[in-house]
Amino acid sequence: MPRARELLAIPASSTTWQRYAYLVIGAALVPPYGTLAGFVAPSLAGGIGEAAAWGLAVVVCGVALPIATGMLPAVRDLEIGAARRLLGVEVGELGTPHGQPSWPTRWRSAAWFVAHLVVGGVIGSLTVVLPPAVVSACFAPFESGDVQLGRLDATVPGGPGSAWIVPVALLSPLALVYVAAAAGVLLARLAPHLLGPSPAERLAAVQRDAMRLAERNRLARELHDSVGHALSIVTVQAGAAARVLDDDPIFAREALTNIETSARNGLRDLDHVLGLLRDDAPARAPTPTLTDLQRLVDSTRTAGIDVTAELTGRIDDVPQAVSREAYRIVQESLTNAARHAGRAPVSLSLNIGADELKLELTNPLDASHARGPGGGRGLNGIHERVASLRGHVSAGPDAGRWRVAVRLPLHPTP
Amino acid sequence: MNLGVLLVDDEPLIRSGLRAIINAEPDLAVIGEAEDGAAVTPLVRRLRPDVVLMDVRMPVVDGIEATRRLLTNVDDPPRVLVLTTFENDDYVFDALRAGASGFLLKRARPDEVVRAIRLLAAGDSLLFPTAIRELAARHSPAEAPAGGLDAAGLTDREADVLRLIAQGLSNAEIAAQLVVSHETVKTHVARILTKLDARDRTQAVIRAYETGFITAGDA
Repeated sequence: MPRARELLAIPASSTTWQRYAYLVIGAALVPPYGTLAGFVAPSLAGGIGEAAAWGLAVVVCGVALPIATGMLPAVRDLEIGAARRLLGVEVGELGTPHGQPSWPTRWRSAAWFVAHLVVGGVIGSLTVVLPPAVVSACFAPFESGDVQLGRLDATVPGGPGSAWIVPVALLSPLALVYVAAAAGVLLARLAPHLLGPSPAERLAAVQRDAMRLAERNRLARELHDSVGHALSIVTVQAGAAARVLDDDPIFAREALTNIETSARNGLRDLDHVLGLLRDDAPARAPTPTLTDLQRLVDSTRTAGIDVTAELTGRIDDVPQAVSREAYRIVQESLTNAARHAGRAPVSLSLNIGADELKLELTNPLDASHARGPGGGRGLNGIHERVASLRGHVSAGPDAGRWRVAVRLPLHPTP
Repeated sequence: MNLGVLLVDDEPLIRSGLRAIINAEPDLAVIGEAEDGAAVTPLVRRLRPDVVLMDVRMPVVDGIEATRRLLTNVDDPPRVLVLTTFENDDYVFDALRAGASGFLLKRARPDEVVRAIRLLAAGDSLLFPTAIRELAARHSPAEAPAGGLDAAGLTDREADVLRLIAQGLSNAEIAAQLVVSHETVKTHVARILTKLDARDRTQAVIRAYETGFITAGDA
């Protein structure tokens, strides 16, 4: 039970008035349907009689049309936005706008829209008729004969005997505020059920969150590894340089260069990963898949790395999840190749079979391109992606070339 | 005679830095280097180093596997000092279980590095940092022997010796601290290893950590 103080606070609460506004919006949506019924009924009356015509007009314009309106995705989006803003319902309890809602969801939206119209219509009508009625009631004690209450079809007897009516009339707007507040509470309670996400939407949202979290964890680990590695080199080289500064100034000078390079690489990795984390906003472009492979290859070529790509099989046959991960694996492999082999040419082959996707990426292990700091670490991400799809990965030197070979099953095995 | 060190790390810059630090000491010398764990056993056979500085993560054969191979395949193997970038690295624990005698962070100060090498080369001391306790605690529930160390039936004296081993004391130091002969300590250590079914001191200490026999307050 709400306590007295909370009850007293209701008329002063901004929530009350925002919800009131939401109800009045509902009321404002009613007249178009009424007007339409008013147009339709007379044109039907000739054929089926006045009463039947009005009955039909009310059923069609007053019931069927609002339900149909409520089923429109755009209306659902508007209602969700308004419910968030004005009813103060938590974001997580409501569905996500901008989707094609399923039919059960559309029916729930329609129910909500009708509820908004009905409850809003009642409160809105009371709001309109009450003030003139209050004014008339306040004059009742000074009148003789019956007094009509505003434009209501109701009267009160005039004369001093009606003095009690004045305080009642003056308090009635306050009572209306409480009624509206109660209606607002009712709608706010109802909103998560009717505007909330369907089980499928909830599942999709949870999966999206899980994916994003896994991706963030992976990035965090990558960052930890690469920056930790760079800083270790900096520490060891600096410690060594300080020790041999007098005896071996050439080494000390080299060490300073190494420190500079490692620190720079660490910062670059930091920049790269932080950039990815920033891009990870919900509004980001859809996750790239193998269909975006050509663009990736092109941009790698633009960066000055000669990529030979060879594709057999149909990319369309690859399930989305596999396609997404495969794209990332290629992306990470190309990044690794650029990092460790400099501008050495990379050859990429992608073979999509009936049950399996084979991906092979090789680049020369040229002695003149000494492996920079970070050897093997970029592979962690690839290993994880492959493991999550129950695939196989092998990476290592092979006949003078560095070879990364990945096999991903196209269909989940039991 | 100089103490010979074998450096195993896939990162050339870590090796060159450690080499400079070690070679700057009059009594230490880097006598060989490897960039992968696969090369360790043959190199040890050929060069007979006193201490191997072993990176944990390497592309083909990692430091864990390399340590295991080294300690099973080479008679009178050198001491293995594991090097790692991060303290809370689960691989480190695996490397110690494989029989490494100590564990050092790559960010250790140069004098810590050379002290660790001398300490391990000098005898049977172990070098475990504080972080190993957390790692052991994390690993313990599933892997601890049932019944803990009580089931092993260590005598009070053996328990004391085990605690001192975990603190990194050598047999000679333990003998001095407990005021017993060196031979007595060796007997105690041998019995501890048998009772705990441990191959070496490292395994015994790890078991002590895993079972909670030794906690943060002890060592």
